[in-house]
Amino acid sequence: MLDCARWRRLWAYAPAVAALLWVGLDGPAQAAEVPQERLQLCGTCHGENGNSKMEKMPSLAGQPELFLANQLILFRERLRKSEAMAPFAKDLTDNDILALAAHYAKLQPEPSPEPVDAGLAARGAELARKMYCGSCHLPDYVGREQMPRLARQRIDYTIEALTAYRAGTRYGVDTTMNGVMYDVSDQDIRALAHFLASVR
Amino acid sequence: MQSVRYSAAKLATGIGLGALLAATAAFELNAQQPAAPPPAWKQGMPSSMADSKLAPHAAPMTVTPVEKITVDKLKVPKGFKVEIWAHGMPGARMMALGDKGTLFIGTRTIGKVYAVSDKAGKREHKVVAEGLKQPNGIAFKNGSLYVITIDQALRFDGIEDKLDAPQPTDISQAINLPPSNHHNWKFAAVGPDNKLYMSIGVPCNICEIDTGKYGLIRRQNLDGSNIEIVARGVRNSIGFDWHPQTKELWFTDNGRDWAGDAGPEEELNRVAANAEGAFYGFPYCHANGIPDPDIKKPNPCAGVTMPAATLGPHAAALGMRFYTGSMFPADYKNAALIARRGSWNRTKKFGYDVVLAKINGAKATITPFMTGFLDTQTDAHWGRPVDVLQMPDGALLVSDEHNGAIYRVSYSGKVAATK
Repeated sequence: MLDCARWRRLWAYAPAVAALLWVGLDGPAQAAEVPQERLQLCGTCHGENGNSKMEKMPSLAGQPELFLANQLILFRERLRKSEAMAPFAKDLTDNDILALAAHYAKLQPEPSPEPVDAGLAARGAELARKMYCGSCHLPDYVGREQMPRLARQRIDYTIEALTAYRAGTRYGVDTTMNGVMYDVSDQDIRALAHFLASVR
Repeated sequence: MQSVRYSAAKLATGIGLGALLAATAAFELNAQQPAAPPPAWKQGMPSSMADSKLAPHAAPMTVTPVEKITVDKLKVPKGFKVEIWAHGMPGARMMALGDKGTLFIGTRTIGKVYAVSDKAGKREHKVVAEGLKQPNGIAFKNGSLYVITIDQALRFDGIEDKLDAPQPTDISQAINLPPSNHHNWKFAAVGPDNKLYMSIGVPCNICEIDTGKYGLIRRQNLDGSNIEIVARGVRNSIGFDWHPQTKELWFTDNGRDWAGDAGPEEELNRVAANAEGAFYGFPYCHANGIPDPDIKKPNPCAGVTMPAATLGPHAAALGMRFYTGSMFPADYKNAALIARRGSWNRTKKFGYDVVLAKINGAKATITPFMTGFLDTQTDAHWGRPVDVLQMPDGALLVSDEHNGAIYRVSYSGKVAATK
C-alpha cells in the first residue's frame, strides 16, 4: 500500500495526467513513441530508467513487451486493482499502451538497491528450482511473452505480488500463478523474492 | 440421473450475505475436502520435464489492426470462401446469437462481452459488459443473454433492445457456482429441453476430484433450480451442442498436460439418451482408454464411456456446433464443426484449425475444414480459433481469440472464389 504522503504526491500529478491523456487522444496513434511528459510521470515512481528506487514500486526495465501491455490493460479495465495505477491507466488507448510497453521492454534492468539476505537467497534458489519457476519465466528468470522478468526485481514488490497471487487478489492473464502460489508460506515468499532480486 | 443441490445457499442469504458470498459459503459448508486444491499447475509434471520451457501462449489484449489480420492465409475446402466478418474485439471467444440477429461474444482475461450488430452489411460492435472475471460462458434464450463468469451469473433481459444501456440482473445466487478458479471459466448453452447447461472444469491439471462438484457438465432450469449432473469425469469441456436429430448432447473435452507430446488426446464425447450422468474417465482414464500415469487405480477404464472420436494431442478442441443449414454441401448436414485453439504443452504445435466431425451413430470421423492459422514449417501461429456458430443463412462464423476477429465461411460451390 502507498503511504499517505506518497499518495498525496501522486495526486498532485492528476491535472498533468489529464492534460497528457488529452494530448494522447488528440494526436495520431504512434505505437513507437511515448511523449516525454508521460515517461517523466511514469518515472516518478518506476525510476527514470525504469529501475525503481521507490518502496514496493516495481521495476519495468527489461520486462517483456506483452507482459507490460497486458498489465496496463488489466489496470485500465480495473481487472488488476491498484489505487496507485488506476488514474494513470484509465484513459490509455491500446496504442499508448503498446508504445509504453515497447519503451520499457528496451531498457536495461539494474539490480535493486535493497540489501539481499544471502541465506534467504540460497533457500529461494532451491525453492525456485523445486517450483519450476524457470519453466515459464526461463532459467535465468528474464521472462518472456506474458510472463514477467523476475531477475533484479525489487524484493518488496515481489513479496507483495506473490502474496497477492496467493490471496487470489491478483490474477495474471490466466490463473496459473494463483495455482502456483497456493499454500506457499510467507517465509518461502521472502526467500523467493531475495533470490530473484539477486539473479544477475 | 444424479441430482445435486448446494442448498445451504438459501440459508446463508437469510443472514444478509451477498449472492456470491452465499454461494461460496454454501459450497464450502458442503465440501468434504479442503476447498482449495493443491497447486494446480505443478500437478502431474514429472521431474524429467523440469527443464521444459512449455508455457501457455497468451493472446494479445490489444486491438489487432484489420490490415494485419492475414485472412488470406486461411484455407478451406473447394467452393468455400473466408472473409473477415467483424474485428476489433480483443479476446473474442464464445459466440451466441440473439433472436434479432445480434452476435454476442464472450472473452476470458479482458473481461468483456461484446455485441455485434449488422448495419446495412457493415458490422458494428459495442461492449455490453466489462470488468468481469472471465465471462467465457454466454447463452441466449427468450430475449435474454446469460453471461456466466468464473464467479458470477448475469442475465440481461431484452438485451437486443438495450445495447446502449444494458441492465444486468445478478442471478449468481440462484445459479450457484463453485468457488474454484482454475479451469472454471465456463461454457454455457441452453438446451432443447430449455435448461441452462454449463461445464464445471477440474481445479487442477490432474488430481483426484469430488466428481459431484467438479469435472462435470450440469444443467438447471433457467431460474437456477434443479441442478442435475449430465456428465462426470470431464476434465474441462469448453464446447457442446445437441445433435439435431437425436437431441443427444455431444461435447469436447481437453486432455491433461505434462504427459508427453503424444497426448492423451482431446476427446469428442456423446451423452447417450439413456446414459445421462455417465462417467468420462477423469482423472483415471483418458482418451481411448489410456490410464493416467500419476493417478492410478485398478482397472482405471472400467465403467468409463469412451469418446466418439479423439481430437489430437493438446489440440485444445473447444467450441463445436452441429451444422443444420442448407448453404454447405449436403454431407455437412448434421455433422459437427469443431474449433481447435491449438496446443501449448507440446514441443511441436498442433491444432490451430477447425475440423469437421462426421457422425456415424456413436462414433465420429474427423477431417480438416479450416487451416492456415499455423505455419507448420516455422511452428508459428497467428490466430487461435475458439468457437464456431452457424448463421441463419447457413454461413459459419469462426471466432479468433488471438486477433479479436470473427470470420465468415460461406459456400457457393464456385472454385474460383477459393484460395
